[in-house]
Amino acid sequence: MLDKPVFSIYEVFMQKDQMSPHVHVGSVDAGTPEDALLLARENFLRRDEAVSLWVVRQDAIHATPYSDPDWFAHPAEKAYRMTQSYARENNDRWRKYKKRMLTLDDVVKD
Amino acid sequence: MAAVENAAAALAAPEYRNALVSLLYQFADDELVLGHRDSEWLGLGPHIEEDIAFASIAQDEVGHAALAFRFLEELGEGKVDDLAFLRPAADRRNAGLLEVPNGEGTYRVEPRFDWAFALARHLAYDLFDRVRLELLTRSSYQPLAQVAVKMQREEHYHLLHHRTWLRKLSHAGSEARERLEQGLARVWPEVDGLFTLGPTATAIAAQGILPATGAALRAAWAEQMATELGAVDLPWPGDPPPAPRDGRAGEHTPALGSLLDVMSEVYRTAPEARW
Amino acid sequence: MSMTYAEQTTEFMARIEAGEKIEASDWMPDEYRIALVRFIQMHALSEIMGAYPEKEWVPRAPTLARKLSLMSKVQDEMGHGQLILRIAEDLAAPLGKSREDLIEELFTGQCKFHNVFHMPAPTWADCGVIGWLVDGAAVVSQGALLDSSYAPYARVLKRVCAEEGFHIQHGESICLALAEGTPEQRQSLQDAINRWWEALLHFFGPKEVSNSANILLKYRFRVKTNEELRQKFFTKYITRVNALGLTVPDPNFHWDEATQLWIYADPDWSRLKAITRNEGPMSRERLRLRQLSYEQAAWVRQALTAPVAV
Repeated sequence: MLDKPVFSIYEVFMQKDQMSPHVHVGSVDAGTPEDALLLARENFLRRDEAVSLWVVRQDAIHATPYSDPDWFAHPAEKAYRMTQSYARENNDRWRKYKKRMLTLDDVVKD
Repeated sequence: MAAVENAAAALAAPEYRNALVSLLYQFADDELVLGHRDSEWLGLGPHIEEDIAFASIAQDEVGHAALAFRFLEELGEGKVDDLAFLRPAADRRNAGLLEVPNGEGTYRVEPRFDWAFALARHLAYDLFDRVRLELLTRSSYQPLAQVAVKMQREEHYHLLHHRTWLRKLSHAGSEARERLEQGLARVWPEVDGLFTLGPTATAIAAQGILPATGAALRAAWAEQMATELGAVDLPWPGDPPPAPRDGRAGEHTPALGSLLDVMSEVYRTAPEARW
Repeated sequence: MSMTYAEQTTEFMARIEAGEKIEASDWMPDEYRIALVRFIQMHALSEIMGAYPEKEWVPRAPTLARKLSLMSKVQDEMGHGQLILRIAEDLAAPLGKSREDLIEELFTGQCKFHNVFHMPAPTWADCGVIGWLVDGAAVVSQGALLDSSYAPYARVLKRVCAEEGFHIQHGESICLALAEGTPEQRQSLQDAINRWWEALLHFFGPKEVSNSANILLKYRFRVKTNEELRQKFFTKYITRVNALGLTVPDPNFHWDEATQLWIYADPDWSRLKAITRNEGPMSRERLRLRQLSYEQAAWVRQALTAPVAV
């Protein structure tokens, strides 16, 4: 009587194009990472275009605990991180020089 | 060989058209019969994720058959579904390997299907298909040459699948390895039937529709198959023996008749109706 | 500061009542875990068993287009089984159960599968009705679970429901073709609807809220009752059946303005009970397919999990 087969669980991440990050789509039972990749394509990408798949053993993933919401607590007021907080003031000051505040887009575009 | 741009041009040259139609039936029937056999595995696969993956391969085959039947319809052979469902066994041009049942029993009653055979059959066929598609990309019939390029890319996953399984089963212990070798042994007697272009072989090659001889197909296939088996240390089962019958000349086993009876069971009741 | 089991359970219920979501790694009372494994395992294995009635028609599908569409649909159902089974596996792992254990409980009868998949599908029209009305019933049922307290299940159901969107279109397409077809095709559709009516009523389960249903309601795993879902199904589908000039085999079926309910003749509930004992019309045959193929391929799963040679 053989021992029951023991599969590993691989979490699957797909990347739809090279301008996008990998996104989690599900998991498969497989014996090896190679099998997991092969199976993942048809288990998760029957209707989606993709350029890359990652598979990661479930037990290799480190995660924050849901049970500790304070893990993610941070001051709500962090206006200094947001561009909106500067918009009014900078634009007012530039007006003197007959100019306006530069946005990211202004600098990036050709 | 002058390129033939489309169906209208082919229809204007009866000799060309006949050779083209002949080849297209071989391709369409190969893909339909194999796709049908593959579809019998739905829900019976060895591992849930693999059941799902293999089902995509089955759909690819049926999809390719549908494409080839549409070409045949454009060439005046009749309605796609009539061609797929109503032609009797003696008119079918598939290779014998593809009509071999998946195992004992049927997909509804006591199916004892052989996974090793299914894989070995698909490996043998998909390597042959790769050889054939490569040649078809250079077909004189432009519409066929164009779709062959697309189909080649779809076949990539098939070979990746079979190779992964071959590697796995040949190195997973003696039982798996033995079963794999037995699967290959069941494929071997029929495999030669893939490499003929049937009674119209000369015309098919001469008209540039599939620019090759049966011998060239066999040689190209054998080289690739030997590479695949060698890569996983599986012994070469020897030169495939001559095929017991010529599927491309309409010679088939009773298994094909049963398959077609099942496949056409509903369609036959009202071929004129909309389903 | 360590809490007693009772204290943890109280805190857990407070989370549930506050509408919070539960994850696989959260602490949960045994009752929650066990009830959820049972429900989700049954859902997963039902999707997998659900492949069989329609799969009977894949080799016989009457056009290449229908053959492809049906192959794809059956594949999707296996896919749903896979997605949901993974959820059950993660939940059952702390109980020491693996996928193999969960599947084998089908064979022992410990885990049931949905009544509709114990029913015969004798004609092509049955295949259409499964895609149209049985899938429709499943969407009603699954749609109501999208806000489940168990987040992994809710997330997977979103994906499942999206694919069901294709399935109900596929089913409608087959049935519309039959409804608009030859007199024989139309009759075969009406016959199939007549055959499936009781199973559709049974699908949503008995009117009385069972103990296990109460547990699931308490934990907000599900929020609607069987009867609410059955009524919703009627609202969505009966007028469409009638619009095609087809009927359901209940001459007294009607909408009651006063109670705002559909009035229907009770099905024979003893037949549903028989199905839960795997004594339905096709229970043995379908289980046989799954069990036989499973046993035939044990060597394959051994090979898949064999240690990799270096």
